[in-house]
Amino acid sequence: MNRFQYARPETVAEAVALLEEYGDDARLLAGGTDLVIELRNRWVEPKVVIDLKHIPELTPSITVRDDVLSISASTVMTDIAEDELVQRHFPALVEAAVVVGSVQIRARATLAGNICNGSPAADTSPPLLVYDAVVVIAGPEGTRRTPVDDFIVGPGKTSLGRGELVTAVELPIPQRPFGAAYTRLTRRRGTDLASITLCCGVDTDGHTRLAYGSVGPRAFLEIDDTGTLADPSVSIEEKVAPLDQLFHRASPSPKSLRASPDYRLAMLRVLGARALETALGRLTKEQV
Amino acid sequence: MNETLTINTTINGRSRSIEVEVNHTLLDVLRDEVDLTGTKECCVVGECGACTVIIDGRPMNSCLMLAVEIDGSEVTTVEGLEIHGELNVLQASFLDESAAQCGFCIPGQLMSATALLHDNPDPTVEQVQEGLAGNLCRCAGYEQITKAVLAAAKEAMR
Amino acid sequence: MKSVGSSPRRGGGLGRVTGHQQYLADIKLPDVLQVKLVTLPVARAKINSIDVTEAEALPGVAFVMTSADLPQPMPRFGPQFQDRPVLADGETKYHGEAVAAVAAETKEIAEEAVRLVKVHYDELHGGVYSVAEALADNPLLVQDPKLRGDSPLAHTNIIDEKHFGWGDIDSQESDLIVEDTFQFPMVTHFAIEPHGFMAAPDGDGIEIWSTIQHPYLLQKIMAKLLDMPLAMVRVHAPDPGGGFGGKQIPKLEPLIAYMALRAQRPVRLILTLDETFQTVRRSSAEVRVRLGFTENGVFTFQDIETNFLVGAYVDIADRVVSKSSYSAAGPYSVPAVKIIGRTIVSHTTPSTAFRGFGIPQISWARESVIDEAALRLGVDRLDIRLRNLARYREEFIPLEEADGDWEQTVRTAAKRIGWNDPLPPNRGRGIACGMKSGPTTGLSYSTVRLLYDGSAMVYAGTSDMGQGARTVFAQIASDELGVPLENIAVVMGDTAVVPYDQQTSASRSSVLMGTAVQRACQDIQGKVLTMATELYGINEDAVKTVGGRLLLPDREVTLTEVMQEALAPLGGEVIGNGEMRKEKDPNHPLGGTAAFFEFNCTASEVEVDMETGHVTLIKHVTVGDVGRSLNPKQVTAQDDGAAIQGLGHTLMEHYIFDDAGRVRNIGAIDYRILTSMDLPLEMHSESIENADGPGPYGIKGVSEGSLLVTAPAVGAAVREATGKVIRDLPLTPQRVWEALQEDENGS
Repeated sequence: MNRFQYARPETVAEAVALLEEYGDDARLLAGGTDLVIELRNRWVEPKVVIDLKHIPELTPSITVRDDVLSISASTVMTDIAEDELVQRHFPALVEAAVVVGSVQIRARATLAGNICNGSPAADTSPPLLVYDAVVVIAGPEGTRRTPVDDFIVGPGKTSLGRGELVTAVELPIPQRPFGAAYTRLTRRRGTDLASITLCCGVDTDGHTRLAYGSVGPRAFLEIDDTGTLADPSVSIEEKVAPLDQLFHRASPSPKSLRASPDYRLAMLRVLGARALETALGRLTKEQV
Repeated sequence: MNETLTINTTINGRSRSIEVEVNHTLLDVLRDEVDLTGTKECCVVGECGACTVIIDGRPMNSCLMLAVEIDGSEVTTVEGLEIHGELNVLQASFLDESAAQCGFCIPGQLMSATALLHDNPDPTVEQVQEGLAGNLCRCAGYEQITKAVLAAAKEAMR
Repeated sequence: MKSVGSSPRRGGGLGRVTGHQQYLADIKLPDVLQVKLVTLPVARAKINSIDVTEAEALPGVAFVMTSADLPQPMPRFGPQFQDRPVLADGETKYHGEAVAAVAAETKEIAEEAVRLVKVHYDELHGGVYSVAEALADNPLLVQDPKLRGDSPLAHTNIIDEKHFGWGDIDSQESDLIVEDTFQFPMVTHFAIEPHGFMAAPDGDGIEIWSTIQHPYLLQKIMAKLLDMPLAMVRVHAPDPGGGFGGKQIPKLEPLIAYMALRAQRPVRLILTLDETFQTVRRSSAEVRVRLGFTENGVFTFQDIETNFLVGAYVDIADRVVSKSSYSAAGPYSVPAVKIIGRTIVSHTTPSTAFRGFGIPQISWARESVIDEAALRLGVDRLDIRLRNLARYREEFIPLEEADGDWEQTVRTAAKRIGWNDPLPPNRGRGIACGMKSGPTTGLSYSTVRLLYDGSAMVYAGTSDMGQGARTVFAQIASDELGVPLENIAVVMGDTAVVPYDQQTSASRSSVLMGTAVQRACQDIQGKVLTMATELYGINEDAVKTVGGRLLLPDREVTLTEVMQEALAPLGGEVIGNGEMRKEKDPNHPLGGTAAFFEFNCTASEVEVDMETGHVTLIKHVTVGDVGRSLNPKQVTAQDDGAAIQGLGHTLMEHYIFDDAGRVRNIGAIDYRILTSMDLPLEMHSESIENADGPGPYGIKGVSEGSLLVTAPAVGAAVREATGKVIRDLPLTPQRVWEALQEDENGS
């Protein structure tokens, strides 16, 4: 690691001020599970590392207000996976959170960090897209909210501007029955970076929201309003074609070590069908 | 803002005030400054778990943390497992099941197992395997390690 | 009191569960300089110059060592051929080969300085990365022919070509001949403890610390390189944190020693896990197998050609090739066999010994082709093996006899897996047999001291890297001396303290060093017996020694009681020495017969997800002929562990190269090994114990057997489930899926 200054702001405003001052020479430290690797390998050589864990507004918390569940920026995967509210309303997010690395990683890695890091393979991106999450951003101009679909830009890129940081992620609690499931493709059962991340959500009005990652520069959200996919009485064979269309943006890299493009594209269909089945099963259960 | 910082922490029950370089990892500080070499270094990317320690009740990879991050926290390393110089139930169980072969991964395995049993005193085989999946063992003593954790759980509940 | 055959707690176990075990990296030398290696981001490069000015100007840097600072010509070393330079000699021959090394006051400064070393080089395009490239017409030569001595193959990439066999394969009448070629990938040892090295000047000599498995080999190599008497080279070899063969042969110790002598201070280099990927690996191999059978599935001949792709320097890989190729026909009785084995150098990480020593590569091909024959002949895959298995005590290879009831082993495995049970859909079963020759020569000395208070110290030059040598030596001494296990200390790992041992390899230690320990104890028994005859004025014939007790005409006494009485009032101790030699046999193509065979039968049941290609191991059984289990829990742990390691190269492990010869998946993120979540749902490791081995109490070596035929057993199961033959490892989901997409014509 290069030598850097360590800053420990106690308010969001202080953190924003530091970010404004240092710009690209600053790196935010939440869980650090990605940052410390980047520092050690000198992929980044910041002048200042800003530790967010001493800012009271950001300390781990999961709260509900006005039917919106809010997850603060320092909340780690373990907290999310263990939270009863998240389990009840956002099971697919739990499914994603519990496969982020190992127990040790999940005790450290934050949800905000997972999306800020901008990895196309981030496990939580597809469920956040499916659940229509909103990212709460603090910056020099105050607080703004942006849909996660607009927040995620590309590899290592988000829509954060200079001086901005994520303070929370908000998920609207579905007001009608909603079934969702997360699945992924890996090389082994134990901890692994996914070759495909995929989440599917269905509601009783025939809407299907399907998001998939690790097969392009970012995770993509697709919405199907035809009702075919969300109809439990339609056979899976009849769903193959409409499902396939949802993956039109997939462009897996031929350079990946983890899986070939052909394999990934084929597996998108398999995983998509499986997640859809599971989501429909859960929807049925919700209605009972 | 500093390039060094004095942190206050409790390591294995002992309060310490340590001046650390802010760009040093917790693993480096434990091994090189505090002389607790039971915590091992292998992959330094959070994949192998050899450097696992328990911080405020949760297992973490000390290779992926800056030492400054334990300011105000309580840290337990493998050296802190013995109780009054006696092996604790898990340690004894690891010995009885021949779970430690070359032994290099064992401190990390023990720390993950400790945290697991703390949260879940009566785990299933699958829960043990899941709880310890972040700890690679190349002797591949996974069967023995799992058995040892289950036996320790049983013993602790007696 | 019988310790042998029970499973007491591991010797050294206490340190392992408390964190107090001192592995190499835990040892702190005073005033030490930290070393970091300088490497290039390319595989092959011509080094034009190395500018160290800026690096050496950095405060805290002691010096940067380059080839110019070493004796000229470049010192070279190796266990078989002296071909490995201390630092890259004018040219890097593989990705990661060190071109220089920085010595600095701290690791951080050393890392910083590495960035300041300016290596001016030209990348050399093209290279030898495959068997085909190595054997092409007019190939690029990996090694300078001048280094090859008078080898007739000096102007090729073949280090040696071995010809073994018996009978005449061409005169055999066969009803069926099957031929196929299989590939085995490059894989790495991935010991959780990365290699580490330290050295310090010591008067006229030198002290070296290494994670080495063979401290005495290191001592010999260093004494020769540094022109020092053996007595002046002291090697400390703390228990390695996993070896698996990867720590047998010296690698960077010479560099570190030269740096310590230059610095006149202790120096220390601990590799990162990533660097170990560029330090050790298993040889990949392309193995062509042609087998002839009668219609009943009885072998008429075997014709096997093995092409092992070793690295840029030969290390011990040529021995891997000869030893494994010699027994390439497997544990079968075959009338005619022709074997060609080639050691082929390439521009890749030097390969070395790795658990199984070449056998996994060959058996993957042979056993898979046997399955093909069985299917074509309509003979059950278990039966075809039973029909051909060498019978107990049969000379199945010239000068080698089957040293166990192998049929019993195979039948046990078949029973355990439920070979004839109906299979649910998407499932398949496979079974495979293999054996590996134990050491062909060996020399182990042990000293045992029975101390005055009745405790004992056992000195053994074995490295305990997890196999549990400390435990079994203490168990042997306990039974032989009548000393409780907890009163026995086993001392290892210091050439200034412990007598000579040739090496810790080939699963030899319980057999060879175990015998030396037993003999040292017997030496003590004899000395105490003499004491007893003098003390009690009786004849030697009137006394019997049973374990740690002497049966006198009128009573029974312990060795300790006799010793204490005889040595009072000054006290003292009784010292015993033991020696075990496994002599050379000049008539044997390998220089010696196998001390024993590790015979194993592995059977596996898998379920394949036909949509994704994922393979789930439902049940995995390995049965080994161990002679006798000295410590059953340790034997099971080693067998389970070997099987799981074998599942690694079977299912997920492999080096991935780019076109320029760089390893792309270095490190723990993109090189996958099994975790606790990837295990077979059910696993059984069993031992066949007929007490018919050459070691103490009838033991044979263990620890390698369970990975010898993991791949063919699992491969056969996948084949049965999918109907597809896959010839490349590992059987990744993608590869299985790709096979499933092939049409019947295989395209």
